[in-house]
Amino acid sequence: MALINRRGMLQGVTASIGAAVGASLLPGRALAESATRATTSAGKPKRIIFFLQNQGFDPETCVPEGLDAGASLAGVTLPEPISPLEPYKGKINIITGIHGRHTSPSHSAYFGALGGYRGGIGVAPSGETIDHVLSQLLPQTILPHLRIGMDALENMISRPTLATLSASGPGKPLFMHSNPNSLYEMLFGGISTGDVKRRFEARSKVFNRIEELAGQGGRTLPTKERERYDSYVDGFREVNGLRERLAGVSDHLKKFAPEYGDKFLKPEFETDWHDSLLDLGIAALKSGVTNVLTIGSGRGEIFGSWKGLGVVQAGHNLGHVKQPDNPIWIKIRQYNCQMLVKLMDALESMPEGDGTMMDNTLIVYTSNNADKQHTSGANWPFILLGNCSGRIKTGQYTQLDGKRPINALYTTLLHAIDAPRDRFNMDKTTAGMHDPKVGPIEELMA
Amino acid sequence: MARTAAIVSSCVLIAAFVDVAHADGQQTFESLARPFLQKHCLDCHGPDSQEGDVSFHKLTGVDTDNVELWKRVWEQVALKEMPPRDEINQPAPIDRLRLSKWITGEIERAMKDKGGFHAHRHPSKGNHLDHDLLFGTVPEGLEPASTPARIWRIQPQEHLTRLNELINREPDFNPERPGLRTRGDFIGPNLEGEVKVYFGLDRLIGWVGGTAAYAAAITGFSPVFSTEAHHGLRNYPMLYSVNGSEATQIAAIAEDVLHFMAYGPDAEPYQFADKVGDIDNKYKHESLRGLSQSLFYSKSPKRPLTPVYELMNEPGVSDDRLRAAVNYLFEALTCRPPSTSESDEYLGVLKEAIDDLGKEEGVMLGLTPIFLDRDALFRTELVEYGTPDKYGRVMLQEQELALAINAAFSYIPPDEALKQAVQQGRMKTRDDVKREVTRILEDDRIRKPRVLQFFREYFDYDRAGTVCKDTNALVSAGGDAKMETHFRAMFGMTANTDRLIELILQEDKNVLQELLTTDRVVFDATKDMRYFAEYVGIDKSLPKPEAEPTDGRKKKGKGLPNSIRATPLPKGQEIHVRIAKVVTPTKTQRVLTTLPAEQRRGILTHPSWLVSHTDAMDNHAILRGRWIRERLLGGAVPDVPITVDAMLPDEPTETLRHRMRVTREDYCWKCHQKMDPLGLPFEMYNHIGLYRTKEHDEPVDTTGEIINSGEPSLDGPVNNALEMIDKLARSERVKQVFVRHAFRYWMGRNETINDAPILQDAWQAYERSGGSMKAMLTSLLTSDAFLYRTRPEETLANAK
Repeated sequence: MALINRRGMLQGVTASIGAAVGASLLPGRALAESATRATTSAGKPKRIIFFLQNQGFDPETCVPEGLDAGASLAGVTLPEPISPLEPYKGKINIITGIHGRHTSPSHSAYFGALGGYRGGIGVAPSGETIDHVLSQLLPQTILPHLRIGMDALENMISRPTLATLSASGPGKPLFMHSNPNSLYEMLFGGISTGDVKRRFEARSKVFNRIEELAGQGGRTLPTKERERYDSYVDGFREVNGLRERLAGVSDHLKKFAPEYGDKFLKPEFETDWHDSLLDLGIAALKSGVTNVLTIGSGRGEIFGSWKGLGVVQAGHNLGHVKQPDNPIWIKIRQYNCQMLVKLMDALESMPEGDGTMMDNTLIVYTSNNADKQHTSGANWPFILLGNCSGRIKTGQYTQLDGKRPINALYTTLLHAIDAPRDRFNMDKTTAGMHDPKVGPIEELMA
Repeated sequence: MARTAAIVSSCVLIAAFVDVAHADGQQTFESLARPFLQKHCLDCHGPDSQEGDVSFHKLTGVDTDNVELWKRVWEQVALKEMPPRDEINQPAPIDRLRLSKWITGEIERAMKDKGGFHAHRHPSKGNHLDHDLLFGTVPEGLEPASTPARIWRIQPQEHLTRLNELINREPDFNPERPGLRTRGDFIGPNLEGEVKVYFGLDRLIGWVGGTAAYAAAITGFSPVFSTEAHHGLRNYPMLYSVNGSEATQIAAIAEDVLHFMAYGPDAEPYQFADKVGDIDNKYKHESLRGLSQSLFYSKSPKRPLTPVYELMNEPGVSDDRLRAAVNYLFEALTCRPPSTSESDEYLGVLKEAIDDLGKEEGVMLGLTPIFLDRDALFRTELVEYGTPDKYGRVMLQEQELALAINAAFSYIPPDEALKQAVQQGRMKTRDDVKREVTRILEDDRIRKPRVLQFFREYFDYDRAGTVCKDTNALVSAGGDAKMETHFRAMFGMTANTDRLIELILQEDKNVLQELLTTDRVVFDATKDMRYFAEYVGIDKSLPKPEAEPTDGRKKKGKGLPNSIRATPLPKGQEIHVRIAKVVTPTKTQRVLTTLPAEQRRGILTHPSWLVSHTDAMDNHAILRGRWIRERLLGGAVPDVPITVDAMLPDEPTETLRHRMRVTREDYCWKCHQKMDPLGLPFEMYNHIGLYRTKEHDEPVDTTGEIINSGEPSLDGPVNNALEMIDKLARSERVKQVFVRHAFRYWMGRNETINDAPILQDAWQAYERSGGSMKAMLTSLLTSDAFLYRTRPEETLANAK
């Protein structure tokens, strides 16, 4: 779990609550403005969303016909699988020719997809992932990084949390939430009891005591065992801190809570829960609770199910079919794109500075599996949506030469949010083999 | 022959053994790895030749950039893949071990700050230690075994069973009717595969609506924890912790559990009656279907009435009542009584919560922390108080020892006798352990779900209900067109196999051989006949089979499809199996009967195991072969290189054997020869487990071969799975490998060379007792590996 220094966290709580009760603040800005680690003003990047569909993203399904090399998207029609983005093509950048050979993406690169290092089933993350890093650098919020994972209904019930994509450091996986009911409770649980202060305080006291007792329990453990045990203590600490901070701003959050009804409580298909999770993600972004959202459709693994779209097949076999012209994959990709549109519309509806939240947002759409299920990772397509406060070129298809790795794209993101680095998760030796250049991918920077 | 050779080579290398067993950090790249590479590798992977694009001449040590290469070297060397078998100049087994140990140690060092390296500790890599080294002559001077001090996050079933103990009173064991679910048994899945604990199920007398409405109305909770979803042993402490989300779920469940302990079902007075007829019809309105108000309960409580009930059942609070509730919960959840300071601590939290919220709410909140105590989530083996012997080992003592013994069998707290042993100071020595282990093993009333779980993980027969099937593939193999019916049959057959294993364990004679070759089967005539039948294919000369009704309902009296010929089985005797009863009383009655010898033998030929090793469309000969290679022969297959596109051609009209021709390419065959020829003999069954003699109208090819097993008498071609199973079941090596897996499961770690004497003793105990699992377990659970822990110096110094 994310390790948040307790003192820093408590300071954050105070600051956040203070900001939230300031009635004059615009809702979207309210919480972000309380940042203690980054200064910010309107027109600067504020949030980044990652959307990873599993089983690969075949370039043939996203590159408009006739566009062999990079070109403007104006005047061309987007391929059917991504057709829902047609009205937004001025705001997107379709990218091919980035590689992830070093991440071992066949089946899934798992943490390596966002970490830019080798991943594999059951392999612990060997470093922090870009979504986590950005969540620490962007204006600080109550819940710096929210992760949601979509899967078959049975799986989301039986394993409501799963860590396969994000990590806060070596051996420190970050869990996705897959049960929208639990996530709702976590984010908006304070609303129903927000005014019952007595109960809230009693609860906080007991849970803080549990945290202390848990901490004591780790004192005499051997080092290796303590590391494992600490993930429990840290998890509890995070939960405690978050509860306090969210409860402190429950009046503010109330305005953004999605309707809590049958889609949550009596899902007919897994897609009801997928939609509910997305709604919660959107609410967290709009309310300013979160600045980084990671969405794992298929939860970074090789399974997944979309019966609600009329896709009868489920699981691993979906990856055994070629995506171009495949009706199943057209449905899944279109569903992804509809979600992207929903995200963009929601953020465009929220004023921020002189514009809208979307103006200061970047959405990164890709797969944790490069281009297809069995792949060397030589061509890993991405779509960037939004221009990140004018930092990223949009309205174009960018074809790169296959020499720069996904790490370079993540370096580009760091540059876009004014936290430049030469490289991301790549030392000189590895770069010698996998990245001929230093710094961001110039072709993408506005 | 091989054994003799192993003994000779072991004798020669006694001195070297000692060096490998405890010389961490002594060797360097220059002193160990380079000479090995020069002698055995550089001819083909050096400056002049880079076979397979691999070369070692520029290597100077292990660092983060070349970890992958070293990992491959480790697996190739440990598994005797390299140098190639036809190379005369082979490294001695001890040299392979020495290099393997050095490489994994160096990778651990290089990856220390990069997420660590744990692959070699994973149960799937246990066989990387050479079998002949472990079962050869045990050299003198080998340091005695021990296991690092550690904590085990409790298992999902263990957690669930303990919570269930708080709210449901399960029947005691009835020797007249073994097989029915009793107190201490694991919470089995229902026929839909769902594992859940329900509130007030035993008290229910009726409800409004049908079974779907009932299922929606009754509340319960699923396991909070999970284990890795893969084939093989999964119960290693190094693999699991608790995350924040799980802790949150436990806190939420805790309040529901406490509420139920105090008040019983959350229902209005009108919902309680002696019989449903007594309830006013206005409360049976159909608009209530699926709601908790639609459930009706008997008037008399059935749940255990605990100190939590006593506390809430009388007005006011007293210190005695509060403390009784705290102590009761603590022991129920951690399996040990609290110390005075622990009891005081939780009493303080409880009182404060009551002060803040009043009794009703305060008790629910104030008792929740006990559910999240470290020892309610983790079992410790820390040996904090003992004095280390000259090897730095401390024997588990008293409470920790008792809980370790208890956890070897049970998911619920120790029984009275074991608790007494701790209290009376009779839980200190190896003899004490032997006494308790023997007592527990001999007492059928003490349920031993952990033993059954070993067989589930060792055999992997419990995954049949989780293998998704393609509808067309299911029907064309003779399965029911309704997928749900298939899954129900699979979960049912898993429970049947559980029961057969328990029966064989009860007899406790030649356990492994019996499991592999028994002609017996626990059989559900209504569901299983189809799967134990013979698939004869569609005879085109016969009239077309009648189409299934489109609404999925079966015509009354409709038999098996024409493509199936039922296999007549003897009537057999009645036997019960454990299927969780959730919606309506589920039929637990089965028959114990026998299968025709020419068709099936042992659980590897039962559909539960066969289907567990299939995919959506067809058999999975590679997975089956891998199972034989790892679990019976003690071999292993290196991880698939990332460059491998592991796909068989999609040719639906061809046999699996033909489609698997692609694995015969030189590059693939090196590994696949270890699996495919062991898996293809099972082609005598189709992918839902039906016996067959023909495939695509041609006689089915069921031949295979045992290659490089390590026991030359086993090697050679086999005509079918039955012949192969017979051969393997007689093998000494196979029994030893079984013992190795039991060691791993009960010790929670992979074996090392220091464990050789323990493994040999356990195997001897098994052999001498005529194949008794009890004898083998007694040997393992009184071994140094089970009893002794080592603590790193720094924690010994810090320990209070």
